[in-house]
Amino acid sequence: MLKIDNLHVRVAGKEILKGLTLAVNAGEMHAIMGPNGAGKSTLGNVLAGREGYEVTQGTVEYNGRNLLDLEPEQRAAEGMFLAFQYPVEIPGVNNTYFLKAALNAQRKHRGEPELDSMQFLKSVREKLRVLHISDDLMNRAVNAGFSGGEKKRNEIFQMALLEPALAILDETDSGLDIDALKMVADGVNAMRDPRRAFVVITHYQRLLDYIVPDFVHVMVDGRIVESGDKSLALKLEEHGYAWIAGRQVPDQNWAGAA
Amino acid sequence: MAAALLEEFGSADVREREESWRYSKTALRALAQNDFLAADGRALPSSNLLESIDWPHTRGRRLVFVNGVHSHAHSDFTAADGIAFERGAEANALNIAGNDQVVHLIYVSVPGAQPVRWDAQLNIRVAAPGARIIEQHTGDVGADVLGSLRVNLEIAERAEARVTMLTDLPDSTSLYRREQVGVAQDGLHASTHALFGGRLQRHDGNIALRGPRSRHAARGVFVVRGRQHIDVHLDVCHEARDTACDVVWRGVADQRARGILRGAITVATGADGADARLQTKNLLLSAHAEIDAQPVLEIYADEVKASHGATVGQLDERALFYLRSRGVPAAVARGLLIAGFCREALADGSDEDLRARLEAALDERLPRIDGVSP
Repeated sequence: MLKIDNLHVRVAGKEILKGLTLAVNAGEMHAIMGPNGAGKSTLGNVLAGREGYEVTQGTVEYNGRNLLDLEPEQRAAEGMFLAFQYPVEIPGVNNTYFLKAALNAQRKHRGEPELDSMQFLKSVREKLRVLHISDDLMNRAVNAGFSGGEKKRNEIFQMALLEPALAILDETDSGLDIDALKMVADGVNAMRDPRRAFVVITHYQRLLDYIVPDFVHVMVDGRIVESGDKSLALKLEEHGYAWIAGRQVPDQNWAGAA
Repeated sequence: MAAALLEEFGSADVREREESWRYSKTALRALAQNDFLAADGRALPSSNLLESIDWPHTRGRRLVFVNGVHSHAHSDFTAADGIAFERGAEANALNIAGNDQVVHLIYVSVPGAQPVRWDAQLNIRVAAPGARIIEQHTGDVGADVLGSLRVNLEIAERAEARVTMLTDLPDSTSLYRREQVGVAQDGLHASTHALFGGRLQRHDGNIALRGPRSRHAARGVFVVRGRQHIDVHLDVCHEARDTACDVVWRGVADQRARGILRGAITVATGADGADARLQTKNLLLSAHAEIDAQPVLEIYADEVKASHGATVGQLDERALFYLRSRGVPAAVARGLLIAGFCREALADGSDEDLRARLEAALDERLPRIDGVSP
């Protein structure tokens, strides 16, 4: 589904990703861990198509196409979803209106019929219930005045509604208390599907107690330096990132479980 | 001619006049290239225009002025207890003495074969709570029309006036509106402005909070594009104790349009306990658009709460990316953000029908703004 090869990315003149290679197949749950400044969020932003990220080398293939050629909205319509580390507050823009516009734009792009208001609201209510989010969230402006936990839950709710093929969760666990964390994990687990893949970016092993990954990758200084199964996360928790940095593992072509 | 217009529109004080028209001098000079004739008060508005001003909610309460002159034929006004309208040689007069009265004032600019101008004055007295005044300015496309309107609004003790101003003008129409509002003890003046289009729009709003505990709450939006020019001068003066004002404005300019938003608050000597808030935010959608935000705060009393802010910026790139990352196409996302920016200032203050109309006017004005123009 996603094939990143030797990706180099510069932000504001500084090289952040320095030859990152990663393959993600449908049905897989990948966790990317690493210390602050390793380039984890940069990876998420580059994949979603944020401006200001300059790819200087390497390729990203998504379902056989060059992902980097696509506009952010095209990527979304092709099934890519990024849950933001810092969801943006947009006063004056109504949540319902925004999500209906997003969903129908995606459906139109894919040649599917647009949902009318009744169909849309039915779908919304189902997903809200799973995430224990109250209906009034939909009548508010996008993320405006939301607490940190509400913003993160809103990200997962949007993911549930948009049903992406590839979801990238950028530190969705940060700032969540244990109950909110479980709700988010439930929301993600409910969406696990043989046709859908996840890349979960996190600092801490804690989230991975609830969302069990198939693969764990450790990112240090713009590259993946170690990959393994879920036991790698536990080892990291025990030894800290210094343990990985000290091992100087050469970058490798991690091909997932193809 | 430019000097003559400036002389006529400005104050007697030359320096004050220079300062007040500093950003609009060029636009005024260009306008003054016209040789204006007196506008015809019996000119016939187009049927489209007449249809657009027929709001079901305000039937029986509608006063129409064609080129500044009250038109019996187009008005739909039934005199009643509590509300009276009187034509005058110099100025018309509107008296609202009953509770919860509604009146819809419509100023229609109808062009002639040559550039024309009209002048009008309306004196309004509100002596009861719950008054709602809708003032609408509209016009037909054609040769230049320059309208000049003076409004004197007196709000008596414990009376309330909620005023909604909607201007939606063709590029050939200019409007200079001067408003003097006086609010007596425990009175309320609440206003919502939605200003669109026009060649040159200038709005001077002088609000005097004369009586103790009198209040002024203002919300406003202007949207300009092409070579449109809007100049808004707000001047709120706290003259008595425990008075309050809360002013929120939004401005949007695209292409080569120009906006000026001056917000001044004065707290006079002895007006202790005043609570003054003014916030303006402005959005530029093109490198050639310009908005000048000028906040002024003068305080001569001791115990005063005052906050004051003015910003000019561009669309938030983070918000734009957020919307696009969910699949909303760039142009739609931009439109959503601009509309959201404006809606923030229309969020409260008006009744549902009116709010729907303001939002519809906004929506109609915004799609033409694409943000990628030269």
